[in-house]
Amino acid sequence: QDIQVKGKVISKDDNLPLPGVSVVVKGTTRGTVTGPNGDFSIAAPAGATLEFTQIGMNPVSVAVVNTNPLTISMVSNTATLSEVVVVGYGVQKKKVVTGAISSVKASQLESQPITRVEQALQGRVSGVTIAANNGQPGEAASVRIRGLSSFTANDPLWVVDGIVVDNGGISYLNASDIESIDVLKDAASQAIYGTRASNGVILVTTKKGKAGSLQLNYNGFYGTSAPARKLNLLNATQYAVLRNEAAAADGNALPYANPMSYGEGTDWQEAIFNNSAKRQNHEISLAGGGEKSTFYSSFGYLDQEGIVATDISRYKRINFRLNSTHKVFKNFTIGQNLGYAYNKTMGLGNTNSEFGGPLASAIHLDPITPLVETDPTKAAAYDARARRNAEGFPYGISSVVGQEMTNPLAYISTRLGNHSWGHNFVGNVYAELEIIPNLKVRSTFGGKMAFWGAESFTPEYYLNSSNINTMNQLYRESNRRVDWNISNTISYNRSFDKHNVTLLLGQEFYQDGSSHGQYVRYDGIPATTYEQASFNYSVPNTQRASGASDGQYHRVASLFARLNYNFQEKYLLEGVIRRDGSTRFGANNQYGIFPSFGAGWVPTMEDFWPKNDVVDFLKIRGSYGIVGNDNIGDFTYISTIGSGRNAAIGTDSYEIGYSPNAPANPDLRWEETRSANIGFEATILHNIRFNFDWFNKKTNGILQYPRIPAYVGAISNPAANVADMENQGFEFELGWNKTINDVKLDINGNFSTLKNKVTFLQEGISFINGDVGFQNLQYGVTRTMVGESFNSYYGFKELGIFQTQEEIDQYTGAKGRIQPNAKPGDFKWKDVDGDGDIDENDREVLGTSLPKYTYGINVNVAWKNFDLAAFGQGAGGNMIFSGLRRFGITAANYQTEALGRWTGPGTSNTYPRLSESDPNYNFRNPSDFYLQDGDYFRIKTLQIGYTFPKALISKAKLSRLRIYVMSENLVTFTKYTGYDPEIGGNVFSIDRGVYPQARSFFVGVNVGL
Amino acid sequence: CKKFLEIQPKGVDLESNYYQNEDQMYKGLVAIYDVVAWQGGILTNKEGVAMAASDDHYGGGEGSGDMNFVNMDKFTLTPATGPQEDLWSRGFSGVFRANILIEKAPAAQMDENVKARMVAEAKALRAYFYFDLVRWFKNIPLYTTNITTSEMYNVTQAPPADVYAQIEADLKDAIAEPNLPNTVPAATEGGRFTKGTVHALLGKVYLWEEKWAEAAAEFAEVNGSTPGQQNPTYGYKLLDDYGDLFSGDVANKFNSESILEIFHTTLSAGSWGGGGVAATEGNIMNIMAGPRGYTTKTAGAPDYYSGWSYWPVTKSLFDAIHFDPRYKWTIANLDSLKANGIADYTPGAQNTGYFIAKWVARYSNLPTGAGDRDLNWGQNYYDIRLADTYLMEAEAIVRGGGDMTRAAALINAVRARVGLGPVAATMDNIKRERRLELAGEGQRWFDLVRWGDAAQVLASEGFVAGKNEILPIPLREMDNTKIEQSKEWGGTK
Repeated sequence: QDIQVKGKVISKDDNLPLPGVSVVVKGTTRGTVTGPNGDFSIAAPAGATLEFTQIGMNPVSVAVVNTNPLTISMVSNTATLSEVVVVGYGVQKKKVVTGAISSVKASQLESQPITRVEQALQGRVSGVTIAANNGQPGEAASVRIRGLSSFTANDPLWVVDGIVVDNGGISYLNASDIESIDVLKDAASQAIYGTRASNGVILVTTKKGKAGSLQLNYNGFYGTSAPARKLNLLNATQYAVLRNEAAAADGNALPYANPMSYGEGTDWQEAIFNNSAKRQNHEISLAGGGEKSTFYSSFGYLDQEGIVATDISRYKRINFRLNSTHKVFKNFTIGQNLGYAYNKTMGLGNTNSEFGGPLASAIHLDPITPLVETDPTKAAAYDARARRNAEGFPYGISSVVGQEMTNPLAYISTRLGNHSWGHNFVGNVYAELEIIPNLKVRSTFGGKMAFWGAESFTPEYYLNSSNINTMNQLYRESNRRVDWNISNTISYNRSFDKHNVTLLLGQEFYQDGSSHGQYVRYDGIPATTYEQASFNYSVPNTQRASGASDGQYHRVASLFARLNYNFQEKYLLEGVIRRDGSTRFGANNQYGIFPSFGAGWVPTMEDFWPKNDVVDFLKIRGSYGIVGNDNIGDFTYISTIGSGRNAAIGTDSYEIGYSPNAPANPDLRWEETRSANIGFEATILHNIRFNFDWFNKKTNGILQYPRIPAYVGAISNPAANVADMENQGFEFELGWNKTINDVKLDINGNFSTLKNKVTFLQEGISFINGDVGFQNLQYGVTRTMVGESFNSYYGFKELGIFQTQEEIDQYTGAKGRIQPNAKPGDFKWKDVDGDGDIDENDREVLGTSLPKYTYGINVNVAWKNFDLAAFGQGAGGNMIFSGLRRFGITAANYQTEALGRWTGPGTSNTYPRLSESDPNYNFRNPSDFYLQDGDYFRIKTLQIGYTFPKALISKAKLSRLRIYVMSENLVTFTKYTGYDPEIGGNVFSIDRGVYPQARSFFVGVNVGL
Repeated sequence: CKKFLEIQPKGVDLESNYYQNEDQMYKGLVAIYDVVAWQGGILTNKEGVAMAASDDHYGGGEGSGDMNFVNMDKFTLTPATGPQEDLWSRGFSGVFRANILIEKAPAAQMDENVKARMVAEAKALRAYFYFDLVRWFKNIPLYTTNITTSEMYNVTQAPPADVYAQIEADLKDAIAEPNLPNTVPAATEGGRFTKGTVHALLGKVYLWEEKWAEAAAEFAEVNGSTPGQQNPTYGYKLLDDYGDLFSGDVANKFNSESILEIFHTTLSAGSWGGGGVAATEGNIMNIMAGPRGYTTKTAGAPDYYSGWSYWPVTKSLFDAIHFDPRYKWTIANLDSLKANGIADYTPGAQNTGYFIAKWVARYSNLPTGAGDRDLNWGQNYYDIRLADTYLMEAEAIVRGGGDMTRAAALINAVRARVGLGPVAATMDNIKRERRLELAGEGQRWFDLVRWGDAAQVLASEGFVAGKNEILPIPLREMDNTKIEQSKEWGGTK
């Protein structure tokens, strides 16, 4: 006799109804799901058991008795052990995973001001070093998983719902659409992605709908941003004094007769910084479904103004997403994921460059030149093309600081309206057939289609005597590409007695590099502003330029297999093998084989493990594997011919010339990374989760285009396997959650160390000079050598300042005085090679640019209806190269630290005397003078929210209403004196005047229907 | 699976199947000529560097940031800083491209006569690049087959005599090739080497080797039997109007006085965003030479285009040429224009008020094509021109003891063209004439070194005898290689 059981499922955490919970009569196929208010109704025989399950909740079983209605209270399962993690081509129970995988869940990203998905990982997972390249809205961050595996390409492989997305293209994702991010850190978990997995793999899974209720959610925030810090630069009077001093040191005429007459002068930073840059973000999602179909759809809108030169620094993005699954037959499922994003980016040009742009100009321009020249006599002398303000006064042009440094307001006025744009479609369709129980065949076709381009109008201008544009230009560029992959897998899992076995076999084809684009430029159109500019104007053919390009296909063909075995979830084994063929290598090295092996033991499952309340769960695991990287240009293993070697033969024409590009390297092969990982996971005292990993990662045959001697005569450098490198480190993750009376606490922290060392360089090569130059320094800033970390700072070491001539006379070596031409106030350079003079052989390693440790801490506290979330993140152990003054520009302004320069015995032992010609190379030598401690800790976000009581909002048919205030980058603790210690890029920590991160304040609201 | 991985590069030819027909061979030849007009790095070109080094010019530019030219001017070079790496790269790029064409030629399916001409040009060009290299650096690697990846770090330097021997051999081969023409049509082939070019080049090589008789013979071939008269074989003749040599307009390109001309065009649409200096076929010297911030104040002011103030002319050259008929074509006296309220400008580094008028960009030659103005000036300049070979032959005769009447006739033909009276054929007169006639053309520095006068003339500029005659081997060329620094620069070679 069936009983009609009715009831309601609520969450024990907040007593809110739980929709979408699956309710099944145990041992039958009879089931239902809870409705929007958590209600359910099901017919069940008396004495039967009802099972309530939902992902993220501990399952509940209830015996049916004749009492109605039931109230089922489910507890969320924050203990991550029963969670699943996404692995390549499937999911696994976290409990049985043997590799090192760190995850971020949707709940950690909720209402966070995350513009790009990289930011979601920063400080939230161990073993990942992330540094924003700069603070311009929409700008990418550099992501390094367990350090550097390569010299040229260290970006991880991003796989979104099974689709490989290039590193730059990942910006299309809206963080609130993300269900989980799983970072595969060791070779055992990466090997299934064999090719290009050596920099780590980041698997992003987007949200799916759940059967049951329809859920409509809105999240939005609005706020303003401001720079956290300004540089202290000299005012006009101080500047004139120091300039006079530098000129006098060389016996030159004093440039400023009366320094006191200039007063404070111009604050160029003030002119470019915006203390109220606006930012808004809105997201609406609608999700739901029934027994057959589910869907998740969302819309997002982001508009962020930059804090520097806001008129030309802004990022807008619009996102759409539709994910759906359909159970066509009981054993046949089809589904699709599709994300679309449009972005419009206005960038100010140089975001970390000493060669001009608003930031570098603001730092370098003399404070004497006025922002706007309002003196009519002086204004009359300005060039007709000088940029002017609304009143017609020209923006001031410095007569002493020139080259690329221009009045930032004038510069901004030449770039108004210029922007780049992109449309990105990333999606896949898949079908899965369960032929017999537990034997599944799955086919997926996925791809990315991108359209991107740029529009710009450059008016005629006279910014200074080196920056003149005599004819306006209208430019338009558009590109497109389609990357795709097809994968087919068969999986079978079976439990025999206590043995659990899962086997996966698969095949994949992948192609990218199909991009092609074209641009056109018209010169001298009859327009003076971006708004007026149009290609509808006609100009003679000689004033038109155009170009186009075709990409080279890059293809990878793969076969792979994975076997997972465990005995009672106690002894765990995993083996993976993948074979990849890449078009980037010649026939002799086309295929690479990448195996891996992992094992684990869960002693807490053993019978002999004593029952106790201290250690609830312990897993010890280890893995070893090999992954590869083919990330080097196409067709570099053969010698190709390039064009553009033109010569102006004939009276006024030119001929197109062709010659070989680079010498061939037919033996070019895969870069291979072998990594070993040992770790353990534990749950202690029920609510402390601990995770530890040690790893050693060794990359062989690092791919690079090493600079070859110019006497070879080739126009470009051949690709080669040039070096081996090792990365070693520890990673800790610790979590603790506890409810004490009304207060719920959840604290998570992580800490990772990293030691990067080059272990071998190609035969005959004892070092590789870094390609990082600074200004026109006669030596590069970094060098790569065996035994040191990649791109270590390399330069001269200063031993203080000569205070007197006597000290100079006493600093002697084999050739007498070591610095015979030095004067008091000059740096005493260390004679590293001890040969008695100072030359290029006296340089040495001065420090590392890559952080040696990174950490993050996340604190969540809830009390009644209030919640507080604080998230901090830091990095350290690296040095920052603070290149904020161009010595090549004699008249450049100084930071106020120059006020503490050496002016006589005893005045300074750290900042040398000023001199225009700098004969002792005090400033022109790359030296530890430029290096500063790069450690920082930053309160990344701080959020306080209030959730309205249900009783209050249910009248408005709302299921959830929460308001919050939030701050981003509230405080940064650092000794670094530049704008911002967080500097990513190809080489970390090189500050050329980086666009700083903004400090922002927001108010926001979450609404659920 | 295998088929999926079989793809061909798109729009890219492979070296292994290139150089197979006349068109491809010609494109390979163009690539060698590309290097002749090469300018790159930090605005480096051969003439500009030589000008800065001489006593006629300073480095100039905007400030101490433009260190390459200032370093050259003040002889404050180090193996790490200076223009030497650019000049080194230029030379070997040329050698590399010439070698590959010569190596591939036998297999090309094409008219054998056309092929023979191309090979002769490639050899002459190779000699041209080696000649520059050996003069700048003295101790250089010498190879006529390109270096493979595996041998790359084992290359050593050759004795300078071996380099000269190779240069002579290549030039003689070119002269012996009947398919190398005596003249070329300027409109379509202007700038390609002719037999005349090669004779002049060989003469210059002999002059450097102090093989006076051989030098005089080669120059006589170029200069013709009667100085001042047109050479019937090669068509060489001094232009009537000295100013036409430097007008910068299309009509005067590849004129009858031009023997080896460095070519540029206004039409290659060079742009800063599209590769900058290295990728344009325009002439960067024009914009570099101009006065900074030039503005006209009266209608009659010269139509100079504002430039970057490189190579300010020294007082010494100004004084030497001030009352010479060639003065007005040679020097732009901005000091005077400014003082008289005719025009204004912003003084740059090492300003003297005098600019090198031969190369200052002019509105009358304003590039009309697409691209950035700065990068698309079209003026050609001369590596060798007839007045130069006249004076070199005169020098070879005077120093080698030859027909002094002919020597005097040669000098006086050059003087007569600008309305100056005859002088005697003495080394002093030749030296003065070369300085004034060829001012700003990048010859003076090489002349001073060749005559052994550099130490004395340039002492005040910091020139050190026994060191600054050559450039240091670029520091990076010694990184990981067997290349040694020259003894002059404290090295072992």
